[in-house]
Amino acid sequence: MHTQRKEIHYMDNNKMLLGVYDNPDATFDVTKSLVEKGYDVYDVYTPFAVHNLDRVIGVKRSRLSTAAFVFGMTGLVSAVTLQSYTSYFDWPMLIGGKPFLHIPTYIPITFELSILFTAFGMVGCFFIVNKMFWGRNTNVIDLRVTDDRFVIAVNIHQGKTDVNELSSILTKGGALEVRERINEL
Amino acid sequence: MGHTTAIQLREEKFVYTDKAKRLSFILMGLGLLLALIGYFTYHPSIEGLTEEQLHHLPIKRLLGSLLFNVYFFFLIATLAIIFIVISQLANAGWYVAVRRVFEAMSEFMPIGAITVFVVVFLSLIVFHGGIYHWAHDGVMESDPLLAKKTWYLNKPFFLIRLAAFTGFWVWAASMIRKYSRQEDQLSTGLTDTRFFDKSYNLSALFMIVFGFTFSMFVWDITMSVDAHWYSTIFTVYNFATGWASAMTVAYLITWYLRKNGYMVGIVTDEHMHDLGKWVFAISMFWTYMWTAQFILIWYANIPEEVAYYEPRMYGSYQFSFFINLVLNFVIPFFMFMKRGAKRNPNIGAIVGTCILIGHWNDVYLMIMPGAMNLATAVTDHNPVGIIEVPSQGVGLMEIGFLSLFAGLFLYIVMKGLTKANLYPTKHPYILESVQHDTGI
Repeated sequence: MHTQRKEIHYMDNNKMLLGVYDNPDATFDVTKSLVEKGYDVYDVYTPFAVHNLDRVIGVKRSRLSTAAFVFGMTGLVSAVTLQSYTSYFDWPMLIGGKPFLHIPTYIPITFELSILFTAFGMVGCFFIVNKMFWGRNTNVIDLRVTDDRFVIAVNIHQGKTDVNELSSILTKGGALEVRERINEL
Repeated sequence: MGHTTAIQLREEKFVYTDKAKRLSFILMGLGLLLALIGYFTYHPSIEGLTEEQLHHLPIKRLLGSLLFNVYFFFLIATLAIIFIVISQLANAGWYVAVRRVFEAMSEFMPIGAITVFVVVFLSLIVFHGGIYHWAHDGVMESDPLLAKKTWYLNKPFFLIRLAAFTGFWVWAASMIRKYSRQEDQLSTGLTDTRFFDKSYNLSALFMIVFGFTFSMFVWDITMSVDAHWYSTIFTVYNFATGWASAMTVAYLITWYLRKNGYMVGIVTDEHMHDLGKWVFAISMFWTYMWTAQFILIWYANIPEEVAYYEPRMYGSYQFSFFINLVLNFVIPFFMFMKRGAKRNPNIGAIVGTCILIGHWNDVYLMIMPGAMNLATAVTDHNPVGIIEVPSQGVGLMEIGFLSLFAGLFLYIVMKGLTKANLYPTKHPYILESVQHDTGI
């Protein structure tokens, strides 16, 4: 919320330089110095959460929670509609002498459906936003980030980014490996 | 990770100004005055009741409103120390910066316990029953529903266990406070865990004892007001009521301290966010317990259980019953869900006030309806021997005692804050707490 996301230029160039690290502190320090020097850090991939890294690269707060609220309310309305329609409007049911519109009895199902809608909605949203569908292989930046390596990905802008200097910053920070890659994520 | 700038731990003391003190004294004096006016101007006239029966009502209402108000604040103080105990046992780090706020809140426990005991003693012994139906002369013997409970529900045992339970809690709370304060004085540094360990061990014992004794305490103080009715979840429900109120009070006091320029750089918006999450979470927990208790009784529809809800839901307490859900569930749910709301002192103050009024009303609903009922002979037409008295509303007595105990509570908590540094400077987890971050 507090930080502005930098604009990412996909169009003018789609090459990235990757620095691979084995240490969260080194990754953090290098990322910080790159951001301070004005490089366009595309993203940093880590096997676990590194505190404050998200603030340094200016990750915006996810809007997934808003979506979750909307899904939850949808579930709530659906549940109340379903139950009141079936057991009061369409076919009044007498259960143990209770009122036909027995709202307290609706609570458990309303609660469950709100949660169900929220959970399914959030998972669905997550898949759509990350373009994960059946039959599509995820394009991982570097397979080793799923195990024990840290990767800093920096966009290269033709004519603007000094690749040699960038590469030396990455190496001096303790990179095990620096390589180029096409941004097709 | 060492990415944050150097942290300055200071020996910070709270200054209790005369202006703030005056507010507490005004609340106390005004409250006592209102309660007395309320008592002496209360001349009920209810259709169907004889002059002799009406004569019992003023003292019942006085004792009832006295009890539910002091019970409310005693729960807040107790659950404040229980929060520390739980956090300590869970090895939590984030809460350490606000720990002294909870410790100060628990300072109310001794006076709260004594007042609860005195009110119960007055009810049982001096007024031969008072607000407790079962304690009226001859009720336990003649009432077939209660006769089998005599081994548990009798005056000496009641008073002895009340004194024993609250006495142990007060002692354990004072020891936990003492260890924490000693740590500031005697600890050699952040790696010295002597006082942490002592506190940890006592917390484990306290937690176990509290789990059992709190159940019985709640059965005694609140559930036995309606001695014919019982609910196995009632203890957890009371626990949630007290806990939600305690977290709200702690949240509001922490905002107050921060607004007045204390704990700068130590307690941040991140801590407020997590305290706010607690307020929100425990409010939802309360709702869960409320629903669980209500819905089982609604489904089963057993007369002796429904008798508890009938006057509350359809009778003269209807407004209190429904406003309870609005204040304790609807308002925190919709107003306090957003991340920004928990970090905003203005929204926090509105929601916090609603929750506190809501839980005060909740405790009112637990005690007052049963407390006002009159005892009569058990007959075939009236097998429980109770004459139900319609709601007398929230009047000067209820408000007066609220004001009295709110003033007293504030005075003791603020006084408690001055007794030590505003945050433990040598707690092993203080640096972790100061760096606490809830993320983006």
